Amino acid sequence: MSKLKIGIIGAGRMGVTHHCITNTHPNAQVVATADPSIVMNKMLSKYAGVETYKDYAAMLAKQPLDAVLVCTPPALNYDILKAVHAKGLHAFVEKPFTLSPVLGAELAGLFDGAGLVNQVGYVNRFNDVFGKTKSLIEDGVIGKLVRFRTEMFSSTIIREQEEEGWRASHANGGGAMYEMASHAIDLVNYLFGAPDKISGTCLTPVFSKNVEDIVAGSFRYRSGVTGSIYVNWSDQSFRKPTNKIEVFGTGGKILADQHGMKIYLTEASPKHGYEKGWNQVYITDVFSNVPFYLRGIEFTAQLYHFIDTIVAGGGKTRCNFADGTAALGVIDAMFQDNKELQGELA
Amino acid sequence: MSKIDRVVFGDNQFFGINHMSQDKAQAQSERFADLDNIFGVYQNAFDAGVRAIMLNSNDRAASITDRFRSNPSAYPEIAWYPSIPYPHKYANLVAEKGMVGAMNNILFSEGAGSALGKMARGATAMMTLDAVKLMKMLIDQEMTIFKGLDVRVVFLQNIVTDLVMGFGVREAIYEYCEHVRKKHKALPGLITQNMPFTRAKLIEWGIKDVVLCSSINKIGYLMSPDVPTYESVLAENDGDTYPMMAMSTLASGAVPAPEAYEFINQLNIQSVVFGASSRGNIDQSVKLINGQG
Repeated sequence: MSKLKIGIIGAGRMGVTHHCITNTHPNAQVVATADPSIVMNKMLSKYAGVETYKDYAAMLAKQPLDAVLVCTPPALNYDILKAVHAKGLHAFVEKPFTLSPVLGAELAGLFDGAGLVNQVGYVNRFNDVFGKTKSLIEDGVIGKLVRFRTEMFSSTIIREQEEEGWRASHANGGGAMYEMASHAIDLVNYLFGAPDKISGTCLTPVFSKNVEDIVAGSFRYRSGVTGSIYVNWSDQSFRKPTNKIEVFGTGGKILADQHGMKIYLTEASPKHGYEKGWNQVYITDVFSNVPFYLRGIEFTAQLYHFIDTIVAGGGKTRCNFADGTAALGVIDAMFQDNKELQGELA
Repeated sequence: MSKIDRVVFGDNQFFGINHMSQDKAQAQSERFADLDNIFGVYQNAFDAGVRAIMLNSNDRAASITDRFRSNPSAYPEIAWYPSIPYPHKYANLVAEKGMVGAMNNILFSEGAGSALGKMARGATAMMTLDAVKLMKMLIDQEMTIFKGLDVRVVFLQNIVTDLVMGFGVREAIYEYCEHVRKKHKALPGLITQNMPFTRAKLIEWGIKDVVLCSSINKIGYLMSPDVPTYESVLAENDGDTYPMMAMSTLASGAVPAPEAYEFINQLNIQSVVFGASSRGNIDQSVKLINGQG
């Protein structure tokens, strides 16, 4: 078959990463990019040999494409994805997809309705440890699910922030909620489903002026399950971004991060090869190799999944627009809850 | 006789890098916040006969090389294997300031050796988009940490190597190699998580005498695409043209050392970089890598 022609909108860090990975897929080739940066366009034109456009609309109008990877600040994504849908192209979009669950739901309906493959870049769904965590929970290894805790830390924002760039405001999709906590929230949705009730939300700035650097809150489910979230991207004690989850059930618990997991069981599980008490599972026990590695197995796995789904003739991806919309629903509810709680103090 | 040392002592254990366990990595990073503890481990390595060190140009590296430089008689003669750049510095800067902003910040920041002439060169390079000149300036910037030391190989970190290789930019790799040879009088090295892919590109592009450092371990961890491909590439490789250095030989501890090096030693591999802290582990690793286990 001839290679899928891929266009990329937004040549920032994620755009460049996806560009590189896409070109290593035997059935895909990036043929055009759109980005307002003159520097990036000259570099990509010279070194990547693609057609470059300052404006995505021009790219969509002039360039024959099969699919588009949207890696722009999220406030722009609604208009972009409407245009991509109008051209009948498959779409991969970086998280957090859009800034509103209403707009997200509209886009999900449009793309699914047109039979276009759609995916949001919540990369944790392609991490081998978190995938294993999900299958163990579903298998009932730790009995009936009772409570979970999800945490993320990094030293991303570690000094006073100037008020510039799209990251400085919620209206543009900046802040720890959209940029980082969205990953932890999607992981919760992936493992346990979206929470039915959100409460006790605390959004706290550390160094940012107009957005939060810490996200914390509580989740409740009609089933009785409860959980909490704590995300802090101003914690310098963490050299690398770290994503942890603890899941407690009637038969034990699972502690997992991107690189490994510990499982405590009250009874042995011969079926899974786990003993009573503590069991250690390393990434080296569960990893799956990818044909080309850049920045992590999950980045390649995620993008190849999107491309392979198109090649296979369509279908639901592991993280489609509806899943992205569900994460936005939680984010929206947390913003609302925080606002109400602040109002009570004022 | 190989152009590079058979045994090279790495630095992951000092800087909170452990692919297996974030808790362990965190604990190590706390222990080695004290420079004396780092040098205690280096002494263990020297006692075991190690004479080669790989060190990433991270924010702690300068204090390490300073101590080696300031008191050379206290240490044996060391061959240095720097790896550049320190990726997290750039990743966090890019997250904060965007790609162009990060570039500006690195080239024009205070304390980055920013003499006026250098700033002018950088500004010209930015304006004329001379990526090669920018890259050379960044290399020189990173290499100031290793000034005056016996540098054998300058490695480019895998995040950069693999990005450039994926894009297929021959010019960037060619110019990197030439700059390292001419300006820094060292062998160019590439760290890659896609060794067979990277080697094939180098052959295609006619770029020779490059050291390739990649994860090589029995279970295939961080070996893209897979172990059989690595095995067949290593079998046919000329170790003079592309000397091979293995890293992650224990797969972050998943493979016991004797088993790990039995696997390594039956392959056509010229060098092994390993990291360990205790005297016992260091002694054992050196013996096993030298085939004396």
